Amino acid sequence: MTEQLIRPELMAEIFSERTLLATAPFVALSVGILLLILAEVIPGMRALRKLLFVGTIGVAGWYAWQTIASGTETFVFEKTYVANSTTGWWTLLFLASTLIAWIFGQRYYDKSEALFEGEHDLLLMSAASGMVLMAGSRDLLVFFVGLELLSVPLYTLSAFRRSRRDSVEAGLKYFMLGAFAAATYLFGAALIYAGTGSLTFSSMHPADIGAPLVLTGVALVVSSLFFKVSVFPFHLWVPDVYQGAPAPVTTFMATGTKAAAFAFLLPTAAALMPASAKPLVAVIALMTIAAGNFGALVQTDLKRMLAYSGVAHAGTMLLAIAGMQGDPEVGGATRALLFYMAAYVFTAGGAFGLLTMLEAQTGRAVTLDSIRGLAKKRPGIAAALAVFMLSLGGIPATGGFLGKYLVFSVAVRSGLVVVAVIGIALSVVALGYYLRVIIALYMQPESEKHPVPATSRMTSSALAFVCVAMVIALGCVPAWFLDNLR
Amino acid sequence: MNFLSLTVLVFLPLVGALLVAATPSKAVGLQRGITLLTMLATGVIGIMLCLDFNGASAAMQHVESKPWFTLPGGIAVQYKLGLDGISVLMVALTALLGPIVMLSTWGHIHERVKEFNVWLLVMQTGMLGVFLALDVVLFYTFWEVSLVPLYFILGIWGGANRLYATIKFFLYTVFGSLVMLIAVIWLMYRFDSTDIELITNQAGNLPGNVQLWLFSAFALAFAIKVPLMPFHTWLPDAHTEAPTSGSVILAGVLLKMGTYGLLRFCIAMFPAAAIEAAPWMMALGALGIVYGAFLAMAQTDIKKLVACSSVSHLGYVVLGLFAMTAAGLRGGVLQMVNHGLSTGLLFLLIGMIYERRHTRALDQYGGIAKVMPVFALFFVIAVLSSVGLPGLNGFVGEYLVLLGTFERSPALAAIAVTGVVFGAVYLLMATRKMLFGPLVNSKNKTLMDLGAREIVLMLPIVALIVWMGVAPNTFLARSEGSLNALTQRLDRARSVRTALYESPGEHQPPGAVTGFGYVGGEGR
Repeated sequence: MTEQLIRPELMAEIFSERTLLATAPFVALSVGILLLILAEVIPGMRALRKLLFVGTIGVAGWYAWQTIASGTETFVFEKTYVANSTTGWWTLLFLASTLIAWIFGQRYYDKSEALFEGEHDLLLMSAASGMVLMAGSRDLLVFFVGLELLSVPLYTLSAFRRSRRDSVEAGLKYFMLGAFAAATYLFGAALIYAGTGSLTFSSMHPADIGAPLVLTGVALVVSSLFFKVSVFPFHLWVPDVYQGAPAPVTTFMATGTKAAAFAFLLPTAAALMPASAKPLVAVIALMTIAAGNFGALVQTDLKRMLAYSGVAHAGTMLLAIAGMQGDPEVGGATRALLFYMAAYVFTAGGAFGLLTMLEAQTGRAVTLDSIRGLAKKRPGIAAALAVFMLSLGGIPATGGFLGKYLVFSVAVRSGLVVVAVIGIALSVVALGYYLRVIIALYMQPESEKHPVPATSRMTSSALAFVCVAMVIALGCVPAWFLDNLR
Repeated sequence: MNFLSLTVLVFLPLVGALLVAATPSKAVGLQRGITLLTMLATGVIGIMLCLDFNGASAAMQHVESKPWFTLPGGIAVQYKLGLDGISVLMVALTALLGPIVMLSTWGHIHERVKEFNVWLLVMQTGMLGVFLALDVVLFYTFWEVSLVPLYFILGIWGGANRLYATIKFFLYTVFGSLVMLIAVIWLMYRFDSTDIELITNQAGNLPGNVQLWLFSAFALAFAIKVPLMPFHTWLPDAHTEAPTSGSVILAGVLLKMGTYGLLRFCIAMFPAAAIEAAPWMMALGALGIVYGAFLAMAQTDIKKLVACSSVSHLGYVVLGLFAMTAAGLRGGVLQMVNHGLSTGLLFLLIGMIYERRHTRALDQYGGIAKVMPVFALFFVIAVLSSVGLPGLNGFVGEYLVLLGTFERSPALAAIAVTGVVFGAVYLLMATRKMLFGPLVNSKNKTLMDLGAREIVLMLPIVALIVWMGVAPNTFLARSEGSLNALTQRLDRARSVRTALYESPGEHQPPGAVTGFGYVGGEGR
């Protein structure tokens, strides 16, 4: 028995240079996690924590870029994990999202919480490594490992402000629902295994996939993924958790988690979703856009508003998944989603990041009232927020527009013209609340009850500026990114 | 580097905007100086480019084309600008109004001057870009970008009810443009290109029902912008709340983006669909003329009155364009410029009197010609131009439009003519109430007449009003080549359609509406 389990050629492959290169970003992050643990216990090393964090992200990013630059596709671990330029781009997006959340989160926690900042960073990096694993996996079980590697730290992070009720509540809520989603996923994966005899996409027989048993499994797996990307009707946890969780964690969840789940949803849908599901997915996408936009319309708390807006964006991205089948352009949906997500990481990341800063400075939740008149006192911050809102609303010359353009292109190309028109009509609703933010920033006098902070923090402002530059670059001169996606 | 190029024309204001943004916020004089200089330079470059334009040719001129980016499917989106007979007058109008609007802000923008000037300049870039873009993605980008500055101008410097007006304006227009976006995407994948010229040349071969769908998607966006009758409700709100300069831009240029789009996309790109839809569009135009006139008659606020008269006047433009005869097209194009000049002038004058009296209610005035003779003179010129007095610009445009309409449908022409009468009624009545009669209100007795700046900024408009009225051919000649080519295209499409439907065994065309006395076929 033992000889069969540990095959020497498999061991040789696992420790080969090829495997190491393919998994290098994940390995780098894992090493980084170990070093961060060491930094917590070895007295003199604590000071190095920030350096370690940024350094690890940098090394992982460098390896991801190498994969993109080489243009090769490497399957490892018996085709359960893949490294190609797409996973390379996803990895870069996850790292960017992690870094944005981390930098905006500096000086966010108060003194009693800051004691545990080492753990905070450790958990954040563990979540990032989980996302990298998710994007590269082509196997239901490998994905599950990545999912848990992401989710468990996120539950903890959501409840990181232990002294605050809303934070603990957010953590608990997320955990309960997340555990339920994980169970659903596993049950679905088991059914798929029972029906096809495999968990790896490449070794599933196409003829088996249409069986009712397998389809039930696919529906369960996809539902669980829909939970992670916050798609209707699995989106109800989003507003509460986003609002209650510490702002840096929300930043991370809104951008990174969504990207990771979509990164796996793409190959899953390509491998397992039957063509007959196309109208269903399209309808779910439209419902998601509607639920997100109408939900956001009545919010006054900005974190909650952006949470609902994130639901709507997930719906828009789902349109690309719906349009994947029947799209004459191979890989069009993947590229559209990569671009959309890149724009979204910098737009939503920047917006949530600035909310993080304002929340930390005033010590209160950021509402439409509390940002009134920001344009007079802090013109730079207000301008950045306005650009983010316009990009979220899909106004041209921003990355948000081109992302939307590409996603709707996929839908139109695959024949979902009516769906695209309805989706577009629903996204007009979105402008209703994005514009209200700009109105509060620019067109209303400062509220006396909620004075605007008189200073802004250097690092946060600088990072916000970088995000604005990226959003505008993606919208005005996108050639450098688009050309590399091919 | 060639300074007389379309790229310089479009992006010079943006450079100016960045410069203004870099100044300290207290340096109001510097900001205004930079803005004025940029606007003047843009105006000079724009008008020189339009003078250096061969109106006899239908070809795009001063074309600049560079690859912008390549979409994942391999479709190359271009940065392509060009000037032709359809856009040349619009570009000249935009370039000319720029410095005039800037000069008018001296009087009424005293707060957040820096931001205002930045938006004004960004706006100029957006509007010029819309008229010059020859790539659908580029066009769409400029089209949407030009919304944002007006949104801010309305929302920050507008009147009491500005937030309602600004949201209404933005959502209305965005809804239309997003529907257009789907049509743009569809066209792009159908023709594997985003080049407007290329699509225009090929889209005429699309099947009729497809053309009709695309036509409708584009027409909705443009009809909201114009605004055509059932979609007009945002305009009076926006105009009433906007500061003077916002109103002048809105009336002078922004609404023309809609009529320009109707001409460039709806009519030129989908001639067969345009022919099908023409009776309906003309009917909406005629309805708008009368309806706008009735709306205007009921107003007691002079600015709202002029805003409603805009709905009426733009009805003429749509009527003329969709008559699709030689006279109608020329009239429509000319009327776009006319409306920009005369309504722009009216809004400027209303702004000037508002700065002095802080009211726009008609019953607060009366007899102010006695204390403000120069103001009265300009006001009367603007009103007469708007009413269509022979010898001034409005007459030529309206006459050509009515002529073109009459060829197609005498009934609609008759309805439209009543609009001319109503227009005279409400505008002249308003003039009488404001300027003449006894000077009763004591607050009006101390009003100051116009100053040198105010007179200087209006003189170019007045000069053009007279010039266009006396020698309209100077202007029409610029559009001659393009409009002739367009008429030929339309005739060809019409003959194809006639041949198709007159072949035996075919059903009657569903769109061959015989109501409104519409004459299809080769009636020219």
